[in-house]
Amino acid sequence: MKNIWKKDKGFVIFLLAAIAFPFVFSLLGQTSLTEGTNKFWQGQLINFFIMAIFAMSYDLLIGYAGMLSFGHAASFGGGAYTVALLLTYVAPDIVKNYQIFIGSLNITEIVVLLVCFLAAILVSILIGLLFSASAMRVKGPYFAMLTLALATALNLLTRATDFVEWTGADEGMHGVPVPYWINPTQNRLTFYFIALVFLVVTYILMKRIVSSPTGRVIQATRENEDRSRMIGYNPVTYRTLAFVMASVFAGIAGALYSLWTVSATPSMTSGVTTVNALIMTILGGMGTLIGPVLGAGIMQIFSQFFYTWFGARWPLVFGIIFVLIVMFLPYGIVGTWRMHGFKLKEGWQRFWDLLKTKPTAEK
Amino acid sequence: MSHNNKKTLYTVIGVVAVAAIIFGLYSYAGQESFIRTVLSGLTLGSLFFLVAAGLTLIFGLMDVLNFAHGSMFMLGAYIGWQFYTNPTFIFGVLPLLLAFAAGILLVPLFKPKLVRLELSDVWQKRLPKLMYLAALIVGGIALWKFDVIGLADTAMVAAVTTSANPLAELSAQEPLLRFMWRPLLLMVSGALVAVGVSRPGDRTEITAPEPLKKRLILLIVLVILTIVFTLVRENASEAVLLMNGNLRFLLAIITATGFGFLLGALIEITMIRPLYVRSFFIVLMTLGLSYVLRELVQVLWDPLAYQMVRPPLFAQPGRANTIAEWLMNGSSTISIVGVTFPTYRLFVIALGFVMFIFVTVLMTRSRLGMVIRAGVQDPQMVEALGINVKSVFTLVFALGVALAALGGIGAAPFLPVQPGMGDQYQMQGFITVVIGGMGSYVGAFVGAIILGMARAFGDYFALKWQLSPTIAEASTVIIMIVVLLLRPQGLFGKKD
Amino acid sequence: MTNEFLLSVESVDTFIGQFHILENVSVNVAKGSITVLLGRNGAGKTTTLKTVIGLTPPRSGRVIFDGEEIQGKRAFNIANLGIGYVPENRAIFRALTVLENLKLAERKKGDLDRHADMIFELFPDLERLSKLKGNQLSGGQQQMLAVARALVPDNKLLLIDEPSEGLAPILIQQMMEVIRKLKEKTTILLVEQNFIMASQLAERYVIIDDGRSVHRGLMSDLVLNEELIHQYLGASIQAPTRTSEAE
Repeated sequence: MKNIWKKDKGFVIFLLAAIAFPFVFSLLGQTSLTEGTNKFWQGQLINFFIMAIFAMSYDLLIGYAGMLSFGHAASFGGGAYTVALLLTYVAPDIVKNYQIFIGSLNITEIVVLLVCFLAAILVSILIGLLFSASAMRVKGPYFAMLTLALATALNLLTRATDFVEWTGADEGMHGVPVPYWINPTQNRLTFYFIALVFLVVTYILMKRIVSSPTGRVIQATRENEDRSRMIGYNPVTYRTLAFVMASVFAGIAGALYSLWTVSATPSMTSGVTTVNALIMTILGGMGTLIGPVLGAGIMQIFSQFFYTWFGARWPLVFGIIFVLIVMFLPYGIVGTWRMHGFKLKEGWQRFWDLLKTKPTAEK
Repeated sequence: MSHNNKKTLYTVIGVVAVAAIIFGLYSYAGQESFIRTVLSGLTLGSLFFLVAAGLTLIFGLMDVLNFAHGSMFMLGAYIGWQFYTNPTFIFGVLPLLLAFAAGILLVPLFKPKLVRLELSDVWQKRLPKLMYLAALIVGGIALWKFDVIGLADTAMVAAVTTSANPLAELSAQEPLLRFMWRPLLLMVSGALVAVGVSRPGDRTEITAPEPLKKRLILLIVLVILTIVFTLVRENASEAVLLMNGNLRFLLAIITATGFGFLLGALIEITMIRPLYVRSFFIVLMTLGLSYVLRELVQVLWDPLAYQMVRPPLFAQPGRANTIAEWLMNGSSTISIVGVTFPTYRLFVIALGFVMFIFVTVLMTRSRLGMVIRAGVQDPQMVEALGINVKSVFTLVFALGVALAALGGIGAAPFLPVQPGMGDQYQMQGFITVVIGGMGSYVGAFVGAIILGMARAFGDYFALKWQLSPTIAEASTVIIMIVVLLLRPQGLFGKKD
Repeated sequence: MTNEFLLSVESVDTFIGQFHILENVSVNVAKGSITVLLGRNGAGKTTTLKTVIGLTPPRSGRVIFDGEEIQGKRAFNIANLGIGYVPENRAIFRALTVLENLKLAERKKGDLDRHADMIFELFPDLERLSKLKGNQLSGGQQQMLAVARALVPDNKLLLIDEPSEGLAPILIQQMMEVIRKLKEKTTILLVEQNFIMASQLAERYVIIDDGRSVHRGLMSDLVLNEELIHQYLGASIQAPTRTSEAE
């Protein structure tokens, strides 16, 4: 723990703030912990946590592995649909017919939910492997186009009327029977902390992955594929590995998201979802883990306030900001901060010096 | 030699396979269905080609994957539809755009004098920024309270009323005396940008004396056009609407294509050119651009789907038996070897083929084509021969976008005009380009036909086997994957 | 001072990315002469040519061509002042026919027509092959085409990079003849590893070593200075010996 504090003060502060938020909010506003505005803001934060996981997984792909995939929504949507389908069509029967106890505690629902998550992970691994198998041989723009094409195909399948009985086609699935104890409408505080735990675990795992030997090879492959091949690492293997890992985290984010919205809709597999992850990542800064989290937070705040400021077409403003960022801040907020942080400090120093010396100058 | 033998062998196998597939489909579907499906496939293929041709040229020459290409298709459809249905919006905005462009075209006039200015290094850097800021402020004042949404809403008036002159229900526009200031100020704003772009004080910039005359003529033409369009801005829409429908449609096509060309040039110069050194960000940039354009269209025309009326040449109910009969009566369908087929789609097929011929002639016969083919291999060497490659890049980008916009207006009369209409075509354009091989316009054509056929027959079989057409659309991805696995550089692509 | 030189490169520094390729390089080329850049592989000879034509613009220093400062200008502008560039590795356009390759080099309409006789007299092969695509030519023919391309417009200065590289001995002879003939009309800055060829063609030399111009003078002096040749050209003197044996 001490180690984490030393290395990553920002994240620990964020974590503590996130844990304390519902309680502090309720104390300050004299409101109930589970009702009203507190509940509303918890919801906003839950959305943010999930999107942060998704954005981080995307950053693993484009920032660390250097693969510009436009098919990330496939994994996200894959996870979401898996959980939604299982909870709707399989789980009720199991819960009705079987019961699992630890002592006198009925843990059936927990086990079923865990199995749902495992299934979502499995599906996202399969999606990752499918994408890798067909797209890993090509690079650059071909890769971007192929992943986009594959994801579009999946998106079309979720919209197809052939499976309307199962997936609801364009409408999607709504009112997924999420167990009471984790249901975000009834037990939001529980869900809040579960989502937070997922975020923290993802962050720590990603941090581990990125600084592990494997992670370093992945980053080396991004910089110079030939060199890492010469040292004896097969770049395709490592790129596939990165792709599948990113896919798994995206699948988890999708699974959580379907629990949170108690739904699974084609928009979760659509290109817009990928673009959102992209915007969050670019906004915060590629190749940094905290960047996407920050980006997700900013996007959450923007989507909240921009709606009231600019009305239904707020994404226009957002898009313009995105274009400006790509043009003028290509390394995102965190990246630019790290690059210019030093200069900025220097600048402040000079500014202070200036203030101090001002009286003498007047004299 | 064995390499050549192998190539011949593969070609023979390919031809035999294609012939077998065609024969198989023909005998399975029967003559009538076969011909109808082939014609549908050609219609789709034409549109795919118009999108893919630009994509492949742009990618081949400058390694730029334009993710905003579908948005250009969509914008082409919107502009054409606006012009055809009610051009008030276009004529209302046109003077402003012209004025701004005229202002920017002052660059060659300013440049020789500005670069000779004595400026310190600090001011050399500062002055352009100040100029851009001033341009932004002046532009803001120029557009202050300009009711662009109101102008855009005129389309709805036309869409709702069925009377002969939809302008009768139009609310009055700003009086000329007040409107006049807007283009004037915008020209000033453009001129300020021009000063910034000229890099005052930077002696390393040189100015070519020769093209100045040409630019000056262009500038004068633009200024005159601005004045003319400012004066006729209200009457022009009425004049256009009273025109013969076919002529109006032709003008709509020209307007949309021209708009695409100018927009393409503008995008290349302002957004893509600074990023050539960081190609990763170009993709992001075009992606962001498509996001912005789609939202912008929704701001202007609401997130609705519009149906453009077919021009009179294709509108009369009834079936023509010959092409001459169709042209005389303007029938909506025509009988081709006993198969009834919409005449408008025939027009789209013709459009696609004509543009293919145009691109082919351009690439093989013109100097520009020569430069493009050389630039695909080695742009630096082309530059070292004394050819301004940057301006060729701009031209090719503009041309590609113009083709996409042409596809958009071509599709508008039989597809719903809506913000997301380009997405599907962009996707299929990508698949086309991958099948045909990046950088090859012939590949784009062949790929477009293959994909169009695959879509058409996919729909046919989906119907037969009681699947939804969505499945057929999704399965085109499989073609792409198969081609990539067998021949990663595409059918007509060159191995590098 | 600058008047007698058609081209003066005055202490330029060129970077490619973050690599400092040229450091304080100075080269002067007198009107109507051939000056050769000598030096080992990777010494910066090619970069010097590219710096002149503007493909790798210098970060500091001056390049003066015909009395005008050209550093920092775009390559096409520099080329249009009358500089022809023949790159190494026969960078002709493979997808274009021989005729198209030549036509592309036109700066004014009719450039090719005016010079066609001269070009096809120097390179009779090219006339015969004019309809073939660049990638159907042999290496020697490609090299001829690359040189011919620089002759289409009226160039005051030719930058020729390794014209003999990878050519058969007989073709090297032919190329030498061509360059000798060109000298009558234009000024040439040559990069050549083949010392024999360089010494027969050029009047003056500049030795580039490790990105610096370390030595310059008259070719007739250098031929006698074995020590200098050994010190800076080392192995590269071996190549011509073999060629002369083949002759």
